Amino acid sequence: MREPVVVSGAILSVAGLSAGYVGEDVIYDIGFEVDEGEAVTIIGSNGAGKSTLFRAIMSMLTPSAGTVRFDGSDITGLATHRIARLGLAYVPAERHLFPQMSVTENLLLGAFPDRPDPAIQDSVFDVFPRLAERKTQDAGTLSGGEQQMLAVGRALMSKPSLLLLDEPTTGLAPLLAAEAYKALARLRDDGLTLVVAEQQVPLALELASRGYVIDHGRFGLSGPSEELAGNPEVQRAYLGVA
Amino acid sequence: MKSALLDGIVLGLQYGLLGVGLTLIYGLTGVLNLAHGQIAVLGAVVVSLLMGTGLPAVPAILAGLAVSGAVLLALDLSVMRVVYRQEGETRILLGLLLMLGVGFMIDGFLAWRYPIEQLGLRIGGDPISILGVRMSTGSLLASAITIVTGLVLVAFFRLTSLGRGVRSVIQDEMGARLCGVNPAFVRTFVFGLSGVLAGLVAVTRSMTGPIGANNTISFTVLALIVAVVGGLGSVSGAFLAGVLLGVVDRLSSFYIGTYITTIILLVCAALTIVAKPSGLLGRPST
Repeated sequence: MREPVVVSGAILSVAGLSAGYVGEDVIYDIGFEVDEGEAVTIIGSNGAGKSTLFRAIMSMLTPSAGTVRFDGSDITGLATHRIARLGLAYVPAERHLFPQMSVTENLLLGAFPDRPDPAIQDSVFDVFPRLAERKTQDAGTLSGGEQQMLAVGRALMSKPSLLLLDEPTTGLAPLLAAEAYKALARLRDDGLTLVVAEQQVPLALELASRGYVIDHGRFGLSGPSEELAGNPEVQRAYLGVA
Repeated sequence: MKSALLDGIVLGLQYGLLGVGLTLIYGLTGVLNLAHGQIAVLGAVVVSLLMGTGLPAVPAILAGLAVSGAVLLALDLSVMRVVYRQEGETRILLGLLLMLGVGFMIDGFLAWRYPIEQLGLRIGGDPISILGVRMSTGSLLASAITIVTGLVLVAFFRLTSLGRGVRSVIQDEMGARLCGVNPAFVRTFVFGLSGVLAGLVAVTRSMTGPIGANNTISFTVLALIVAVVGGLGSVSGAFLAGVLLGVVDRLSSFYIGTYITTIILLVCAALTIVAKPSGLLGRPST
């Protein structure tokens, strides 16, 4: 077990963030904070604005209002590659792997521009042994589950202090989805700070200690995971409880 | 027959080097550099002028390569910025027109100031016999330089962090950004590299015959054909295509006639587009 971390302010704090596409906002006035070592989930249905929120945090689109602070500094509007180099890693639902490069080369690029750390690579292979078996295979030839592992593994290569994951179970069969979450739980237990956006609400609430519900681009309910899991509204909308 | 084959390989290596510079820029940015041959010859003319002032060959060549590289570097940092802001077909068309304009400007400049300036590097030494065919030292040196350059390029793209960074942008620009790769820097670097490679091919070709203002357009056309056959964006594909096309070129001019070779090469490119649009190796593996 790790010693409890002395928190000197949140590692990520988002305030008043609004963003969208072609002049029309999709998310409105989003505010939340994440402390070091925490696992937080953002739950919402398809099109609720989860991906837009992450894209705005990563400067993949320009927010129309609000600020994003990471590790004490304002990163609003900073170029995406600079944000990535600061230690804020993002695994999009579409994964954005390099299909004609081997598993190993994809992992090496995760460490760009630094020299890849063999110890980190070993720990990635430790969490995802399947990747070690497929080292020389092109990323484009991997199965969906393996591609997801590679996307997370590539993000880990940069030794991130915060990992944003957008629907890590997209396109995965239920058994593989549960397996993916087992790996994420392991990373969480190793002390990695996680923010997971998810439609698979039971898995996400089990992983995270607390969560936010996003609906039509706005944050609504929030609270500890058990509380959200017990909330009748959440049960009706996301947990399939009648 | 045997000598035509060897000649074809020698020529083909040059074609490969010509295609590489064009293919890299296209694979990365979608800009078809229709000034590639002009930029190559510009470098050769600079080398010739400097050697005319008494400068030894090696520093003159380095300066010529630097000029070719600098022209593309400057374009990337200035007008190309407008092109990069566009997407899809608009980007391809705008880039193509812009580079066509640059090509015309260089052609005009050469015709105006240096219409008869030619670089012809005479490499001393007696011909060397290879497989019973007497090869000039010039064509052997040109081939050696080209092979070494090709190997260095392949190693660079496979083994170095920056090389992998370039390939990552070619394959998935957003993925590259998320890994911390700066696509703007990669583009600037590849434009500079492509210019230097263009200058280099003009220099190595001048080891077998003089290179001047009348070579610009044929260089651009050949680079385009090689890049299409090799697969746009692929370094190893460009060299493979170059050698194949070089052999086709020499054999067809040996058996049919020189007048027909360019047509045959164009047919090869057209057939590739129809049969295997992604090129010989079928993927932009670089």
